[in-house]
Amino acid sequence: MSQPAVLRDALPLQAPAAAPIRRVLIANRGEIAVRIQRTLRAMGIASVAVFHRVDAEGPHVTGADGTVELIGDSAVAAHLDGPQIVAAARASGADAIHPGYGFLSENAAFARQVAEAGLTFIGPDADTIALMGDKISARQFAEAHGVPVAPSVMPTGDLDAFAAAAEAIGFPLLIKAAAGGGGKGMSIVREPSTLREAARIASSEAQRYFGDGRVYAELYVERPRHIEVQVLGDGAGGAIHLFERECSVQRRFQKIIEEAPAAPLPEALREEICGAAVRLAAAARYKNAGTVEFILGTDGRFFFLEMNTRLQVEHPVTEMITGLDLVRAQVDIAAGRGLPATQPEIRVHGHAIECRICAEAPERGFLPATGAVRLLRVPDGPAIRFENALRQGQKVTADFDPMLAKLVVSGPDRAAAIDRAIAALKELAILGVETNVDYLTRLLDHPAFRAGDLHTAFVSEHAESLVAPPLDVAARDRALMVAALGQRAFRTLVSDVPEPQASIGAWRN
Amino acid sequence: MALKLKLGEDVHEVEIVARRPHLTVRIDGRLHTLSDLGQAEDGFGTLILDGALVSYGRIGGTGTALLRIDGRTHAVEVVDPFEGSDGTGGGRDEVLAPMPGAVVEVHKAAGDAVTRGQAVLTIESMKLQTTLVAPRDGVLVAVLKSEGDMFEKDEVVARLAPVEGGQ
Repeated sequence: MSQPAVLRDALPLQAPAAAPIRRVLIANRGEIAVRIQRTLRAMGIASVAVFHRVDAEGPHVTGADGTVELIGDSAVAAHLDGPQIVAAARASGADAIHPGYGFLSENAAFARQVAEAGLTFIGPDADTIALMGDKISARQFAEAHGVPVAPSVMPTGDLDAFAAAAEAIGFPLLIKAAAGGGGKGMSIVREPSTLREAARIASSEAQRYFGDGRVYAELYVERPRHIEVQVLGDGAGGAIHLFERECSVQRRFQKIIEEAPAAPLPEALREEICGAAVRLAAAARYKNAGTVEFILGTDGRFFFLEMNTRLQVEHPVTEMITGLDLVRAQVDIAAGRGLPATQPEIRVHGHAIECRICAEAPERGFLPATGAVRLLRVPDGPAIRFENALRQGQKVTADFDPMLAKLVVSGPDRAAAIDRAIAALKELAILGVETNVDYLTRLLDHPAFRAGDLHTAFVSEHAESLVAPPLDVAARDRALMVAALGQRAFRTLVSDVPEPQASIGAWRN
Repeated sequence: MALKLKLGEDVHEVEIVARRPHLTVRIDGRLHTLSDLGQAEDGFGTLILDGALVSYGRIGGTGTALLRIDGRTHAVEVVDPFEGSDGTGGGRDEVLAPMPGAVVEVHKAAGDAVTRGQAVLTIESMKLQTTLVAPRDGVLVAVLKSEGDMFEKDEVVARLAPVEGGQ
């Protein structure tokens, strides 16, 4: 890559003062808490787990050096209780807090509380979280630093002025309610002649649903790809990227398959996108690991979507292709030790794919499923990471996110990584709660996925060809035979019937 | 008698036709021999079907079996293990939860006589209330859940006294 190693404005070059980190409270649960613990252990840093009583026997609790129970009406409420978590950190002698992802990881007030308590927040400072957490301010900041944003017309009550400005952007356009959500007051306009009518309808719908008739328009990117760039910033204006990830395969607006690097992406475009992300991180004097998300149109234009100021669920694919440990990098940056490498030292080795294993019913609109993990076998191998906090017997309730685990595999190239991922998914067995494991297998094996023909509507576009194919007769008989032999009543018939009776009906050639 | 198993949309019949020298089974008219039946218990195992090794994971000794075979998961439902054994129909002893949920109200207690279709429990699953009814006439020997209790799919929530002389 030809990006400069570190981009610096006229900012002080000194990194923030070093703060020793010897004991870290992990303000999270599940697979990510387990994963953070693993790196802390390797670094010789003690970890403190927090847990709600529903989670008391979770692997993140048993694997920690110290534990603190959080009190709350629900497990989620407990994990969102910032003051209680800060108090737990102080009581347990922790000098830093790692927020993981979700929960309080992008909560500026929490980052501030942590700092005010004299603890190190393993993440950016509160002001940066606030800047990037607000869609409007983040977009303006990006635009001001030369990061492309989708052309748009801001909300106005004047339909004529709105139509004129919108037409200047070009088509197709997406009309949205300023106060909107849930698709209300939203429409796609493909030609100038229908613009005014669509805006009028959207406005009256918005008025009806939200009591606010203002609408805005932005360029509608058709068949967009979701490309995001992993960045690391030292907090003093130094920033590098760890290449991009592709997260175009989504359902219910959430990613289910992520890969690094992206499925086919022209080299020049990749450099441009990664360069934009580094510019943004450097300009924000970003301190921590972070992700700059873009949408990429079929015409090669890309636009800033948002910046996630935390470790991302899909960070392992980046670790697999770069060989860097992102949690270690986060801790080192927070402790004032700077970036782990210079840009030219960061290289891509092979290809990595992550599958999110979720308790859900793909055939019923991916609705979350509940049950218990009654039988479990996890795949194993040198190029496989199975990130999870599962154990046999564990109940899967509606208390938490339906994601049970992440399967991450790497290979020398994309095709090899896909093959390995499919083999690992077939080896994985989770019985007792419905999961998307078999669906993911079909998805990875789909010709369009193998071809890298990805976009965010992949799942709905290929819905028909992603349905489970019927079993052939031989496979069906195998399944029926295994099922029958598990039935007590059938086993009894096989073994208990006395011989004279047993031979009745004996079949002869 | 044939064991009726539902896989996907279709019901299939599994019938024992011989036990020696190997177990021979007819599935929808196709014959198969088993030289190794595998373990009876839940878990991962292998069996030998028509001379070929079949590896599987399996749970569920009664009712619905969940299987992992050939890299795919299947739910196989036992249509009625005692079908054809008597003429009365609907002769189950157990009241099973059709899906995971919680008990909203308990209508009957152990010792109560019930008639077929009479409400035993009201449950709530996925924000929907449903009544679980007695599968046949009889006397309840156990109501295993109280108000507020949670349960899983196919969990036995109440049990009827077996019918005298019945199977």
